[in-house]
Amino acid sequence: MHLLEVENLTKRFGGLTAVNNVTFHVDEGELLGIIGPNGAGKTTLFNIITGFLRPDSGTVKFRGEDVTGLEPHKLVNKGVARTFQVVRPFRHLPVIANVAVALKSPRGSRKIEWLKTTARKALDMLEDVGLTDLMLEPAENIGHGSLKRLEMARALATEPDALMLDEPFGGLNPLETDFLTKSIQRIHLDHPTRGIVIVEHKLYALMKIVHRVIVLHEGEKIAEGKPEEIAKNKKVIEVYMGKATLHA
Amino acid sequence: MVDVGAIIINGAISGAVFSLLALGFTLIYGVSGVVNLAHGVFFMLGAYMFSSFSSLLGEEVEGILVVSPLALLLSVILAAITVAIVAAIVYKLAIGPVIEDEVAVLVVTVSIAIVFQQIILLLFTPAFHPVPSLLRGYTIFWGLTLTYQRVMSFVVSLVLFAILWIFIAKTKIGGAMRAVSQDREVAMLMGVNTERLYMLTMAISGAFAAIAGIFIASTTTGVANAFMWLEPLALSFSIVILGGLGSIKGTIVGGFIIGYSEIIVTTIYPEIGAIVPAVPFGIMLLVLTIRPKGLFGKRIEMEE
Amino acid sequence: MVTTYLRRAYSSFAAHVFDIPPRLLALLLLSFLITLPLTGLNPYVISVMTSANILAIFGASWDLLVGRTGQMSLGHALFFGIGAYSSALLFEFYGLPLWITIPLAVVIGAACGLLIGFPCLRTKGPYLALVSMAFPLILSSIFYFFDDIFKGEFGIRGLPSFFPSLATKDRMLGNYYLTLLLLFISAVILYKIANSHTGIVFVSILDDELASKASGINVTKYKLMAFTISGLFASLAGAAYAHILGVANPPLLSLTWSFVPVIVTFLGGIGTIYGPIIGAYIYYLLDRYFLTIIIEIPYELIYIRLLVFTLIVAIIVIKWPRGIGRFVTDKLEDLQEGREIEEIMAEREKKKKKKQK
Repeated sequence: MHLLEVENLTKRFGGLTAVNNVTFHVDEGELLGIIGPNGAGKTTLFNIITGFLRPDSGTVKFRGEDVTGLEPHKLVNKGVARTFQVVRPFRHLPVIANVAVALKSPRGSRKIEWLKTTARKALDMLEDVGLTDLMLEPAENIGHGSLKRLEMARALATEPDALMLDEPFGGLNPLETDFLTKSIQRIHLDHPTRGIVIVEHKLYALMKIVHRVIVLHEGEKIAEGKPEEIAKNKKVIEVYMGKATLHA
Repeated sequence: MVDVGAIIINGAISGAVFSLLALGFTLIYGVSGVVNLAHGVFFMLGAYMFSSFSSLLGEEVEGILVVSPLALLLSVILAAITVAIVAAIVYKLAIGPVIEDEVAVLVVTVSIAIVFQQIILLLFTPAFHPVPSLLRGYTIFWGLTLTYQRVMSFVVSLVLFAILWIFIAKTKIGGAMRAVSQDREVAMLMGVNTERLYMLTMAISGAFAAIAGIFIASTTTGVANAFMWLEPLALSFSIVILGGLGSIKGTIVGGFIIGYSEIIVTTIYPEIGAIVPAVPFGIMLLVLTIRPKGLFGKRIEMEE
Repeated sequence: MVTTYLRRAYSSFAAHVFDIPPRLLALLLLSFLITLPLTGLNPYVISVMTSANILAIFGASWDLLVGRTGQMSLGHALFFGIGAYSSALLFEFYGLPLWITIPLAVVIGAACGLLIGFPCLRTKGPYLALVSMAFPLILSSIFYFFDDIFKGEFGIRGLPSFFPSLATKDRMLGNYYLTLLLLFISAVILYKIANSHTGIVFVSILDDELASKASGINVTKYKLMAFTISGLFASLAGAAYAHILGVANPPLLSLTWSFVPVIVTFLGGIGTIYGPIIGAYIYYLLDRYFLTIIIEIPYELIYIRLLVFTLIVAIIVIKWPRGIGRFVTDKLEDLQEGREIEEIMAEREKKKKKKQK
């Protein structure tokens, strides 16, 4: 049984088919990358899987259970957490309180062991992403790179079994990209059964850390395989270079 | 026996004037994104200004104020212009500075509404204030007694719809309005002075509301009072929700639907007069539960 | 030590004034409010302060819902009126004493808060604003329609007062201290809620509902909670007010009364708990004492008073979107931070000099 299984997912917006019959899966302990040119439907796919959009057809299964169209917060409490491509911090709250919100969810508070208080747990999360010295700073005051890390800390606070990252490297400079890469790898090592799905544009960063890649183009899955294979795949290269569209 | 002919005709007249009122509301929303809770105030000011101007322009004949048709017409125009100017000033001073903040706009516009309510109370007291008729005389049509002024309000409303349509579709400024309502930033990049555009839109919005106010106050109720801004607000909102926020076509259709609904209900249940103030709000709640998206327009919400 | 960090994090959403903990300030303020009337204050002023206490509770209830959870309400008079009328009706029809009717009215108010919350769940911003304006108007229309029960325009009169056996002057003092006690209890409860883990979740809903859902929060549950708590305290204020006035009438459901918590909260500072309290005192002392007794606005110009305050609210919203109180405390905080940074810099200078030696 796969950790996360997406079958024949389709979503239309008016005349436009954003996601067209997409099928893939993620297993425990796997790092899956989802790539594709702009407009390929990656974020729409993400939104459907995490409950923010309803698909027109198809199913999403988590640990064998059909969770298609389940409300976002219910999915989170089952163990599927996500970050947002455009960061969505709680502006008025200090950094540590941002994480504390996630710790108030049923799943988040469950994981607070006896003797560990919410504060301690929140600090742990901030440590994992290197944000402890900013912990009392209102979220509206911190820089973009820190906000991206905060997104992740918040998602991790619910100890998800499936972590979905939407363009986590977006807008980061090389130093921050390197730091985040190492963070993701460390997070993966700390929780070997957790599955991580990363949608990303920065291919060089992504291909280094994922086990497997699927490629989306105009809403369809056009390729799947190991990073090295995908990098050599002619169709994928054409699609990125703009030489080909799937439907002439 | 219900007089269908009366319903058809009266519904059309109500519908036209309601649409006029709601068009003002939808215009300022479509172009600038502002939900103007003070919209009903322009309706109210229109009625009061009309009454005041006609008193000013009238003559005392044996202790009774007589106003010539010309003077009445002039009063309508003056009232509309005055309210348009007031609306533009309100935008410049109060709404413009906070336009980025949705919540602030709501608080500011409702504050402005109350401010004007109090001003009217100061100048005119809480008593009902008589509003003179626009025209005298009536005609019989389909066995129905129709006053000329009600016919006039119908015709003028339709004319104003046409003028607005042409203005938006054919003129440069109208084009700017369309551009800004679709994408404000791009429009700004292309050189549209949004602040002045919004002031102009607000002026038109206020003028429409004022004229609707004059029509309803002078032809239907005959009075004005300091609290009469709430019902037009609820009515505008209902119509615009029904027809779709920001959609002119939808607003006009919505206006006629609401106009007809009101006529039908008050014909069948005249006792409803007792709770008339609540009716527009009740309609609004009904519309919101049935069709939060409206018929034509786009939703306010984005995700989900 | 770690828990102190979190507590500081929670309370950084409140304000520290010159690093004096808010509790001490609150205690000082409380002692002042307790002792002031005993110095032989004019009974009219005492009654004004009594009303201010009521307004403070009302304003704080509004601030929790609007300022802290982000659910706009321009019809809060609904709960105020429900509290007043519930207590009045229970007295009128069942002859129950006020120490039974008022708690019952509070329960009814909380239940109504919950009920009203449902239709408000999917509405946001302007929709919510207008829907909330509708409710009290519809309710008062219903009251006018069934005027044999609700006694129409004049309302339900002859409500028992809190201290019927005392002489007038003592009764006024009694009312004052009672409302002050109610205010103290309400403020403490609201403060604890606002600065708790739940309060943090409320702010997350205010800031970004979608992100809150993505953090596993059942936003519906928390919104309904906020509505219920807000309805509870607003109706407490309404019920108490009705018994002090002796009557529950339709003006309590008016738009004016809905606007009162807005005035009070913006004067004092939105999103805090102390803001509405300070704002209530500023508003009522200015309006009922300064404008009425000192300046003596003539009766015909009575409408100027609301006009002035509404105008003030508009100006505040335009210039200081977080309310004057927040503006002042924010500035003080900046000063404080500036001083802290200077201290840290000074320490670093000292360390550097030591090293050089």
